[in-house]
Amino acid sequence: MMTNRFANTWAILRLDLRHDWLKITLWIGGLAGLMVIAAGKFGGIYSTQQALVSIAETLKTPAMVALFGPFTATPPYAVAVIYGAEMMVFMGLFAAMMNVYFAVHATRAEEDSGTAELILARAVGRQSQLAAAMLELVLINVAAGCLEALGLQAANMAGSNAAGDWLFGLGLAAFGLMFGAAALLAAQVMSSARGATTLSYGWLGVTFIARMATDVANPDWTWWTFFGWIEKMGLYTTNRWLPVGLMLGFSVVVLAIAVTVAATRDIGAGIVSPRPGRRTARAWLQGPLTLLVRLERTSTLIWWLGLFILGAAYGSIFGTVGDLVKSNPMLAKLLGNSGVTAANHAVILSLANTLTVIFAVVATIPAVTTLLRLNTEERQGRLELLHAAPVSRLRLFSATVIQALVSGTAALALGVLGMAVAGNAVMTSPISLARFMRGFVGYWPALLVVCGLAALLVGCWPRWQRLIWLVPVYGVLSKYLGPMLNFPDWAQRLTPYGWVNAVPQHAVAWPPVAGMVALGVAFLVIAGIGYRRRDLTMN
Amino acid sequence: MTEVLTVDHLQKRFGQFQALKDISLTIHAGEVFGFIGPNGAGKSTTIRTLLGILRPTAGHATIFGLDAWRDAVKIHRRLAYVPGDVNLWPNLTGGEVIDFLLRLNGQQHSARTDALIQQFELDPAKKARTYSKGNRQKVALIAAFSSDAELYIFDEPTSGLDPLMEEVFQQQVLALKQAGKSVLLSSHILSEVERMCDRIAIIRQGTIIEVGSLSEMRQLSRSTVHVTTQQPLAAIADWPTVHQFTASTPTQAVFAVDAEAMGQVMATLSQLGIVALTTTPPTLEDLFLRYYNSEAGHDDESLR
Ligand SMILES: Nc1ncnc2c1ncn2[C@@H]1O[C@H](COP(=O)(O)OP(=O)(O)OP(=O)(O)O)[C@@H](O)[C@H]1O
Ligand SMILES: [Mg+2]
Repeated sequence: MMTNRFANTWAILRLDLRHDWLKITLWIGGLAGLMVIAAGKFGGIYSTQQALVSIAETLKTPAMVALFGPFTATPPYAVAVIYGAEMMVFMGLFAAMMNVYFAVHATRAEEDSGTAELILARAVGRQSQLAAAMLELVLINVAAGCLEALGLQAANMAGSNAAGDWLFGLGLAAFGLMFGAAALLAAQVMSSARGATTLSYGWLGVTFIARMATDVANPDWTWWTFFGWIEKMGLYTTNRWLPVGLMLGFSVVVLAIAVTVAATRDIGAGIVSPRPGRRTARAWLQGPLTLLVRLERTSTLIWWLGLFILGAAYGSIFGTVGDLVKSNPMLAKLLGNSGVTAANHAVILSLANTLTVIFAVVATIPAVTTLLRLNTEERQGRLELLHAAPVSRLRLFSATVIQALVSGTAALALGVLGMAVAGNAVMTSPISLARFMRGFVGYWPALLVVCGLAALLVGCWPRWQRLIWLVPVYGVLSKYLGPMLNFPDWAQRLTPYGWVNAVPQHAVAWPPVAGMVALGVAFLVIAGIGYRRRDLTMN
Repeated sequence: MTEVLTVDHLQKRFGQFQALKDISLTIHAGEVFGFIGPNGAGKSTTIRTLLGILRPTAGHATIFGLDAWRDAVKIHRRLAYVPGDVNLWPNLTGGEVIDFLLRLNGQQHSARTDALIQQFELDPAKKARTYSKGNRQKVALIAAFSSDAELYIFDEPTSGLDPLMEEVFQQQVLALKQAGKSVLLSSHILSEVERMCDRIAIIRQGTIIEVGSLSEMRQLSRSTVHVTTQQPLAAIADWPTVHQFTASTPTQAVFAVDAEAMGQVMATLSQLGIVALTTTPPTLEDLFLRYYNSEAGHDDESLR
């Protein structure tokens, strides 16, 4: 019975690996490379005990705890300890993203494209594809973990030890697998690859926010947030393996549920069977723009809600972050009341700057997804009927751009708004909403430029359109880790996110804003021209 | 007769691959035009070029006297299209898609739409993700038939339909024909083409190799003759215009005759004293197979 259900799993695994080897290599190489390069940089930046103490003090502030996780080490500090504290949460996010990608790719995406049907008609078990996907994830994570551990050993940071290096690598592997397992479950529950990816990211977001909130409030509670286990390993200090066991155990439980769910549903269907819908279209469904609005309605609302919640979650810690007197009672005497308020505000606004970058990057995701959709739908053959209708290409293109910009713009605005509202609710002396909104005004042009670049690829070089994802990934890397890694100026300015001045601390600098808007619009225009001139079928 | 559609030495190249080498054809108003050819011959590519989805590498295509590439939108207002592979947005229902497509052309869901939904036995409340291939095709067919256009383009519209639905489709096309509409029908179902089309183009490897009405094409080809005579007829076997001669007895044989030699053969046969005679004109299938097989080269002389 067992062997029947899983017949030929190995053959499918081999096929999956042969398809994906390049992507797997790029992901693993990218992650391990990032870790090793960062390890090398850390040694250079934090070469004196003074530098270490100063960064340790910074990492202990609530703002940094919210971004990087709690810092629990005691002096004297070693480079490796700082490295572990700064990199863990960040690398965990990337490992989780990799796992979600491969999990959905190997299961739900194959069902959507019909490949699964071809394979299932062969002598394979009903659950062989799921089993092969699980094995693929295990292989990918173990390979990534080992490579990272070996890389760390080679980097040989001061204060590092083999136990810590391997704990870091394998801990990340277990962490990634935990979210990969969740994505496999999501792939069984949802009725499309897109839905499965959205649900997986939703889970990642919820656990991330929970970990941030508990870290700032009471780190003991972080044990209950799943995401937080990765922080509990005490890298290069206590080197605890218990969290790795918890992550693996949880993965096994989730996988078991996924297998059970898979056994009860049909291939190509979710567990919720689709309900009948409308017999006729609503009156407003009239053209390409309203069609896009109708198609993206649910996912747009989820993104907007998600960003508002993310913003509010960060805003809710502003009370703790902006209370410098609590951690340093001398300050009140030194600065006086108004001075303390100013200092508090400075800390909050600086954190708000980092957060706004994060919102801007996250808000690019729905916008860019919408833009890429123009070609994705084309490949799926869904636009052929539209092209034969009296809808000009320019109109179709413009509709896509409008939907993308509206969903991205609103997402960014809602992130900032959530942060401002929740922040002001908990702060003793509020900061005006207009001040926070400087962040929105400052970063919106960056969003526009990234959308322009995405449109350019979509319109002129459709084969390469997925390269656009490098921009937000590098953007978050350079703005989140860049300051810690002393990235040179030019390296921070490789993406549009790096061209924005320090808002909301300072007033919006208009020349770069105007320049970026002009550039973004120019990209969109060129993209539109390219889209009008080229062939539309690519397969 | 006015020309609805003219294709003039159309070429299309995908990178190194020349998908269309030389396509020229004309469709007149009120005509049902059949488009047949083997897989990968370039039928869909031609149609996509006509729709302005692909840009011609060389040559021209005009519809209603307008350029297919430049004036696509103007043309599309007066045209309805059903692709061979209908892919719909999984979250919309069939009913929503039909209404949406109609509205794009400035038309409305009408009593005719409801009648077509009935005739094609479609459940319009179902989500497109749950439709079978045939049902997805029905959605596009209903939208096309219920819109009021001058030219209808169908690219293998019935590949997923059951025989009953196929019949409904043919009735609808004949109704269009009666109403004086023009139709371009690409199909692998030759009986369908034979029954409905006034003229036919055969395409192979990106080149139109024959255009004409079925009877014209028949005249260009051979008929099969079953004959029994009083006197032995073996002598005929050696004629250059007679092919595949097989005799079961000295006075009974089956063979194929080139159209232009038919009179001569008949005269000779009647001198031999005909006992029984049937001649069968070539079916479209015969024509088709003959044209396609000639690709291999071994049977080249069989073309005409
Ligand atoms: N976008 C493209 N890029 C490269 N080659 C293409 C493209 N579209 C079509 N082709 C090639 O052009 C040729 C003609 O394809 P087309 O789809 O027009 O054939 P068809 O006559 O419609 O065949 P079928 O009867 O199978 O539908 C095929 O060899 C096909 O592989
Ligand atoms: Mg075709």
